[in-house]
Amino acid sequence: MEQHKSRLGYTLGMLSLFLLGAVLFLIGFFPASYSAAEKDSTVPEGRPTTLHGVKLEPPPPAYDSFILFLVDALRDDFPDATSMPVAHSRACEKLTLHVDIPTVTMPRLKSITTGTLSNFIDIALNVGHTEQVEDSILHRLKQKNRVVSFAGDHTWVNLFPSEFTRRAENNDSFYVNDFYEGDRNVTKVLESELEKSDWSLLILHYLGLDHIGHVEGNASPRINLKLKEMDEAVQKILEHKNLPNYLLMLTGDHGMADGGGHGGNTPAETLVPLYLYSKNCSKATTVTKTYNQIDLAPTLSVLLSVEIPTLSIGSLIPEMLQSLSLEHQLYAYFYNAHHLLNKARVKFGHDRVQWSDYYTWYQNATLVHKKLIFQMRDGDGSGASQVLYHNAKLNYMRVAREISGLLSESLVKFDYGFIALGLALTTAASLHMMISVLYLDLTEQLHLDSLNVAQLVVSLIAAVLVNMTSHALDIIRTSSWLQSLMLLIPLAIAVYLTIDVAQALLKIALPPIYTRRLKLSIPLPLPLLACFAIRTLTLGSSSFIEFEYKTWYYLGNSLILLTAFRTLRRRITKTNVELDGRHLYTIASTCLWQMRKVFVMLMLLTLMRYIHRLQAIRSTIMIFSLLLLWARLHRHSASWMQSVASGAALCMVYCFRGLNGQVHFIELAPYLASKLMVPTLVVFWCCLALVLGLGYREALPQAHPTLGTRSVVLQLLQTNLTSSLLLAALLQKVQNILLLPVLLVALQQTYKLCDVFGTSTRKFSVRLVHVYKIIMTIFLARMFYFYQGNSNSLSTIDLTPGYIGQTSYNPVIVGLFVTLNTYGAEIHAFLYLIVHTLRSDLRSVGIMQLQPPYSIAADSLIAPLYAALIMLPAAFYLCLMVGFRYHLFIYSVFSPKALYDCYTVLVFYLVFLVTSLYFKLFKNDA
Amino acid sequence: MVSRFDQQKTKHQLFHVSLSLATILICMTYMQYRRNWAHLGSFWDSLVVPIVFIGELLKVVLARFYGRIEDGVLTVKQRQKKATYFTPRELLGGLTLQFLCTLLYAFICIILGAPVLGNYEQTFVLALLMTLLTVSPTVFLLGGGGALQVCFCEKPDFVTKCEDTALNLFKYNALGGILGAWAGSVVAPLDWGRDWQAYPIPNVIGALLGSALGNIYACTHVLYATARVYMTKKRS
Repeated sequence: MEQHKSRLGYTLGMLSLFLLGAVLFLIGFFPASYSAAEKDSTVPEGRPTTLHGVKLEPPPPAYDSFILFLVDALRDDFPDATSMPVAHSRACEKLTLHVDIPTVTMPRLKSITTGTLSNFIDIALNVGHTEQVEDSILHRLKQKNRVVSFAGDHTWVNLFPSEFTRRAENNDSFYVNDFYEGDRNVTKVLESELEKSDWSLLILHYLGLDHIGHVEGNASPRINLKLKEMDEAVQKILEHKNLPNYLLMLTGDHGMADGGGHGGNTPAETLVPLYLYSKNCSKATTVTKTYNQIDLAPTLSVLLSVEIPTLSIGSLIPEMLQSLSLEHQLYAYFYNAHHLLNKARVKFGHDRVQWSDYYTWYQNATLVHKKLIFQMRDGDGSGASQVLYHNAKLNYMRVAREISGLLSESLVKFDYGFIALGLALTTAASLHMMISVLYLDLTEQLHLDSLNVAQLVVSLIAAVLVNMTSHALDIIRTSSWLQSLMLLIPLAIAVYLTIDVAQALLKIALPPIYTRRLKLSIPLPLPLLACFAIRTLTLGSSSFIEFEYKTWYYLGNSLILLTAFRTLRRRITKTNVELDGRHLYTIASTCLWQMRKVFVMLMLLTLMRYIHRLQAIRSTIMIFSLLLLWARLHRHSASWMQSVASGAALCMVYCFRGLNGQVHFIELAPYLASKLMVPTLVVFWCCLALVLGLGYREALPQAHPTLGTRSVVLQLLQTNLTSSLLLAALLQKVQNILLLPVLLVALQQTYKLCDVFGTSTRKFSVRLVHVYKIIMTIFLARMFYFYQGNSNSLSTIDLTPGYIGQTSYNPVIVGLFVTLNTYGAEIHAFLYLIVHTLRSDLRSVGIMQLQPPYSIAADSLIAPLYAALIMLPAAFYLCLMVGFRYHLFIYSVFSPKALYDCYTVLVFYLVFLVTSLYFKLFKNDA
Repeated sequence: MVSRFDQQKTKHQLFHVSLSLATILICMTYMQYRRNWAHLGSFWDSLVVPIVFIGELLKVVLARFYGRIEDGVLTVKQRQKKATYFTPRELLGGLTLQFLCTLLYAFICIILGAPVLGNYEQTFVLALLMTLLTVSPTVFLLGGGGALQVCFCEKPDFVTKCEDTALNLFKYNALGGILGAWAGSVVAPLDWGRDWQAYPIPNVIGALLGSALGNIYACTHVLYATARVYMTKKRS
């Protein structure tokens, strides 16, 4: 039949296109990490000492002691004359700082100390564990052996574990119900530090205000009390005797939204005050100027007389430099402009910098600067030098602002060209796939799954045009010609696919006049559709993503229950008709008893939720589950030799865990145990190789010439499944090994249920059974994926299996093992589905009809539909991401999920690739 | 052309639907009066289960009341069947059936995510409510065996016309209740931190609202038919 030609190649192509689109999307959405590109840069270390041949002297520290008084969530309108009278009236300068997204503490602290912005990928990758900062003001201070003291939020210590000379951090900064205790401790430290006065930088981070905001909102009466408390602390510093020459900076790390939370992009969250205090300052003008938070780091480094941190892209805050002499001020401006110019050279290339406006400004400024230095050293007059000074300063600042803006734009800005291209590719590929699976006649009419040369040419021309226009309009920016040429390929494919999809959609939407009516080539039962729709639509809510496992458990179990009850009812009705309406109680109970396995399986699925609580009896569980797994494998193994080998491999797994001390085992001396570890693993790998070899030998055509090609493929895939399960048994956590046999049992029972359900319908259809099995497999695979302890946050990725039997870090092996461990359930479920489809025929459930044959659908229906069902939600989610790009939780919740989704498709792609290779190699040569 | 319009049936249906809506309204008023939602899950403290029980009983009484009128047209088989409704055996069977159904519902609750080790009282209350909304009315009307036959046979021939009307309405009531309770779980993962998001409350309220919606849906047919008859009458 024409309907049943294999569509593996087509599916593979669509999957590749989807992945290409996903990669483009991710590149556009998460601009490549800036700090990574910085590593091998040629930015000169240290401060410049010459200017056009003139020797320059870096200025000494401007103040003896610096105090950074950080109040968490201090928003711009909080400190005023009534809430903080002392702080408000005695400030030398009142500035406003603009904070970048995300407005949460950790990235903000990084900005303050390093002067750079965090981009999305950084944040997404750092959600789980706070990465230590590699270069900051604090590092530079430590290099110079200056004393830095710290008190307050624990986050600082995570970022800078060894940079503080003295530290007194709060124990738990996420315990939001602590309004006062932590702050009182910080004030105590402040008092003792004021007596010591050996430090050059004191950092105080008060958390109470933020906690009050989180718990009680921004209108709480406690807010004012807390501000008063902060005011008193400021007063303590200002009125202290021991501080002759200090600079006190009162600021917030981020603001507070009107509800009391933070993390978003509203002015209330992104604007914080910066109040400066020092002895004998000139009182400020009333105009408040706004600077960026990243400007704080270079300014502070200049004042502290240390090097500007490498990553810093801020410009200077002139108001903070007023205590310096003119020469030193100019040096500071020169230094920062020089630093930024070097960074711009690295980022944009020498040529672009050479021809830019800011380079000319920089040249002018340095020339004027040089002239001014000569005049000053000659002791020449003030009038002319004031003019020169202002000229140089303005030019330097112009340069710094321009470059700073350019650099931060290149960090945070989404690349909409790439995003649009990626979205077009992913959506078009998945829709194309879906349409071609759903409407077979349409596929044949339009030749969707074969390449149309004319259309390709048209789309290539269109792609060239689009590429030219978007380059001309500056929507897509590429650094080289080659890249723009490369972009042609995805553009052309996207146009090609879009033409196809648009054609197909038009045909579907328009009422057919001359052609015959289009009809779905596979049945779509309503409950399955509803569950799938719910699963897709709930992706729009952050809490549903955070607790995605709940959705899967609920929907998966609901589906199985519903199918079970419908089957039960049909069975009872059927039996009842035969038995003439009496004995209903007996019939009902008999039918219920026949379905007992399904209910047992449901109970097992429920219990799997509690698997992480079974730590105490894990030895028993491990033995039990290994036995169960072996029994499962034994059932389908090719020969008794293979069974023995797999049994031995499982024994080795237990020995390995025993030697590791994770389960009960014979007592061994530690040195002996560590010596035995490697041989155990070697034996395990030998057994695994034996299993593979025996299975393959069994499948080879010359061994059994009578074997059909289909059973050869079946045998090979079965062997693959077996070895993959064995490997997973080695990699999984001890109590999670139970999930492997349970997954097999659950899948088997579900398939049986689907068979019975399909055969009990009035109009039997093989395709209905297939659709049910596919959707059930997807749901079960996801359920087991979450049973295992995975989640949508990057922090739950288990890295330990990557290092089993490894002595050194090998990224390929670690990646492979971790992927196998994390996505084990999905890989095995898909393989099992294919193997099951190839193996079974419906004679076992009483249907003699083999037309169309059941197992033939493995490559014509199951694989494409499965792929389409994996791709469609992912494409939908990527579209959602664009809509949510300014959402509060885009970093913490949505972005990791997007990475997970794309990776899921990638893993499926690889498994699919391997599987279809077997089909191609061993099916056609017979 | 005048459509076939059965006045008795329509009256019965309208009364039935208003009874169910009244029950649910009373439940809602009661909850509003108590203000605290947390007691919904407790067995002794909440009046929702008794209210629903009384409402279902009243519906059965209503069906019996209308059934009395058509007593004359019963076939022999229907008469025989009717006589067996109240034998001790049938009563016992009906009770057992309801009890088993409650257990089944509790099992389903646990499968779908109710805590396995705890909250038994809440699960029991929810299961009881679901039984009352779905199985009980049919059992009260036809006895245990009758209910089973209605559920699993194609079209039992002993059901009288008026019972058929009631059964049809019960079906919508049950379907609405099940779907409502199922859909009620949607609020569980949301991070709003409200006290009414605790386990049985959204499901209980969902079941009540769902059955109300089911009743309204069932009644739209009747209302439509009534309206059409009314219009034709007025025109002629």
